[in-house]
Amino acid sequence: MHHANHFYGHAHVLARYAGLGDGHPPRINGYVQHGWNIGDGLAPGHPYAEGTPSLLWSEQTRRRAWSVGRRNVTVIGAPFSYLLAMADEPESPQRAGTIWYPFHGWEGQHVEGDHERLIAQIQDTEPGPVTVCLYWHEHRMRRVRRRYENAGFRVICHGYRGHWWTNTDPDFLDRQLTELRQHARVASNRLTSAIFYGIAAGCAPAVYGNPMVLANEDPTFGGTARIRRQWPELHGEQVHLPTAVEIARAELGIDHRYPPAALRELLGWAYLREETT
Amino acid sequence: MTTETAPTVALPGGEMLTWSDQRAEGGNRPLAALAARLVPAGAKVLLAGPADPAVLDALGQARVTCLLRGYPDAAAVAGRVDRVVVAGAAGLPYGAEYDVVIAAGGLDTVESVEGTRLGWGGVLARLAAVVRPGGALLLRLDNPLGVHRLVAASGWYVGRDDAEWSVGGVLDDSRPANLEQLRLRLGTAGLRLGDCYAGYPHPEATTALLATEALARQARSGLFDAVLHDACTSGYAGRSVLADPARLAVDALYAGRAADLAPSWLVLAHRPDTGGHQPMTILAATAPTAATATGGPSAVTATTAHGDATAPGDATAPGDGAGRLPVAVLWAGRSGGRIVEVVDGPHGWHWHRSGPVVPRSAPAPYASREIAQLDPAAPHGPVPDGRLLRSLLLDGCLRRDTALLRRLLRGYADWLTGQADHGRLTGAVALAGVDNLVVAGDRFAVLDPTWRADEPLPVDVVLARALWRFATDLLTGGYAHPWTSTLDVAGLTVVLGGVAGRDFDRAVVDAALDIEAAVRRGLHADRAAGPDAEPVTPTDPPPGRHSYQQLRDAWLRQRDENTRLAAALRWTEELLTSRERALRRAEAKLDLLSGTVGYKLARLAITPARMARRGAGAAKRRARAALTRKEGTGE
Repeated sequence: MHHANHFYGHAHVLARYAGLGDGHPPRINGYVQHGWNIGDGLAPGHPYAEGTPSLLWSEQTRRRAWSVGRRNVTVIGAPFSYLLAMADEPESPQRAGTIWYPFHGWEGQHVEGDHERLIAQIQDTEPGPVTVCLYWHEHRMRRVRRRYENAGFRVICHGYRGHWWTNTDPDFLDRQLTELRQHARVASNRLTSAIFYGIAAGCAPAVYGNPMVLANEDPTFGGTARIRRQWPELHGEQVHLPTAVEIARAELGIDHRYPPAALRELLGWAYLREETT
Repeated sequence: MTTETAPTVALPGGEMLTWSDQRAEGGNRPLAALAARLVPAGAKVLLAGPADPAVLDALGQARVTCLLRGYPDAAAVAGRVDRVVVAGAAGLPYGAEYDVVIAAGGLDTVESVEGTRLGWGGVLARLAAVVRPGGALLLRLDNPLGVHRLVAASGWYVGRDDAEWSVGGVLDDSRPANLEQLRLRLGTAGLRLGDCYAGYPHPEATTALLATEALARQARSGLFDAVLHDACTSGYAGRSVLADPARLAVDALYAGRAADLAPSWLVLAHRPDTGGHQPMTILAATAPTAATATGGPSAVTATTAHGDATAPGDATAPGDGAGRLPVAVLWAGRSGGRIVEVVDGPHGWHWHRSGPVVPRSAPAPYASREIAQLDPAAPHGPVPDGRLLRSLLLDGCLRRDTALLRRLLRGYADWLTGQADHGRLTGAVALAGVDNLVVAGDRFAVLDPTWRADEPLPVDVVLARALWRFATDLLTGGYAHPWTSTLDVAGLTVVLGGVAGRDFDRAVVDAALDIEAAVRRGLHADRAAGPDAEPVTPTDPPPGRHSYQQLRDAWLRQRDENTRLAAALRWTEELLTSRERALRRAEAKLDLLSGTVGYKLARLAITPARMARRGAGAAKRRARAALTRKEGTGE
């Protein structure tokens, strides 16, 4: 299995949904898109075997992937959508405040931007209590964490996404869903997976503030400028909720979610030859 | 046949003494059914060319003369008809007139090798001359650009068979190459073109006659789609072809060109009535009426497949469409061997059956379950309109329109569930595949309910069987689709079930395959060897067909699969190397750590505990063994 399939415990969520239990997930015959993506669904720079299936979140990503030369691309929906299918929302959820995701790069990237200005903007905009969710390596940076804590925000981290099959937190998405369902709003300075997860989990979205460009950001697919051009409806401090829900539904491929038996076939899990405990 | 005079065989010259045109295959039962409608009892009929036994049967009450070129064929029919003339077209007696002239095998088979060569035009002129005013000519013309020609593995011009002492083709000026040219040639011969039918799947073995006007008007008809697909699939089984004729025929239908690409045409032409002749109406069915049974001079009235009079006679088409020619005449070989017609009426198309049902032979001895039962009363009633589900699904797959596929398959699954009794289905709906279901809006219907299941089948098994058949077509046909190439047929069936909102696994597909095998045994019990539901892989060509294009496509799929597997193998090797390197590093680190003072101290510290644990384990085993021995002695 490609190690990126384990990021954020995606393979674990899919295995649970497919009825294979909570153990170590079996090898997936393909690459599962591991984050919302304005490219072909696969992370640039990762080594991929030609012709191996790409298991993508949305139909739009599938078309785009095909147009840039990918083949054997199939839409299965985001692993988060499978988690939603497994975890029913409490009947009377107690939601309050905003969960805010300052944009993060991955471990090898460095965000350039002014956290102080962003904090001020969050304080000016958000009406209720704010929970700031930092990416794991920013959360480990005491300096960054303190800035948000000193602003009066609750600071959390959903966990470590894992790398090369080690230290993967299988409960990452569960923890994220639980947090999202405790908040009325989800916000970020960039349109990212978390915003779509938040919308799908019942939060009102907002995208505002300095997008904090990455040093040496890959411009192949257009970067933040293209994101703002293509999804202007999702940018702003207040967003039209029905439109956002519709877009999130498409981007997470909620309608493409398969039942467990079909998912087992698509992931190559129909005939397992390894212990799955 | 009347037996007023003894049958005679006339030999006016031009006979071929050892030649026979009788062929083992085919026959044209739809044409025979049409002839039965057209020819009233007592009418004077000339059968020009090979005498199809089915046509002879259909003309039981008529006075039939056969014009044959081979003497052995004449000897074979001599007892069944009023008169046999063994000669080329030139041997027809001058002055003879017939109410109906039928050239069911076209005009090439009328001309003899003996005597003066007339050519296609000359033979037509000779036959047209014996159609009396008000009478009709029923003529088959083969299409030089028909589906059979487009998929033929050999060129039409390479023939060296015995019958091809002369190869007629599109280069021959006197031979019409399309319906418009035929209309002109008939006009020159004094005849007026009336109804036209497209004959599929092959000129020598027609099983479907479809009205050309209806084909052009109803390019999305689920009925025509199903008929063309079925006729061209079963009609070319075992033949080597360049490409799939069924795909070509259905594509032609959707393009409004199914008539243009028909392998043959069957046309009804009339000699205008110059007056003084009693009109002869087209019969509604094979049973002769009292009026027509009396015979006598008559004239065939031409009505189109839609009931519009096109020739003198002014026969008004009855309101229920009973007097009209059908829009389709189908030989349902798999449905007990019978003719089924589709007639246009005030409430749309409806089924009409003619001719007796041929009883099926006993089931094959290995057919332990008779799942499929033939409904002797079916099909009847209205023909449901709509698009064929198979084509809609193919379209959804090709365009990767998963929303459309979800809507269709969920609608289908819900429709099945809605008819189930305690989760089980019986009747035609339990056996109908996606090639026998039509969809109009959100409404599903079985097109032809001839085969039904009396044994209740679980809904999921019914659905899985239909989806397995579709998945087989989709994969072996090489159609593009939205799913990964790593799925086999059973896997894709499960995925399609998922698209339909059903969560069934391979165990259900296995159950569906058992049903499929039993149904096939039932359907093909009267055949020497029916196709089995053999497992196929996605890189196989379609079973039962020999199409070069599909063989090549299957080879390309195999090549792609090999490329994918080779790339995956390389990637796996690299990953294995990387993981082995990581393992070596970890082992080196373990070795390094095991030599440290800290490790040795820790090992010393835990040694007593390990020994105590080992001793406890041994004591436990001994105690358990002692207990076992004690129980074994019966205490």
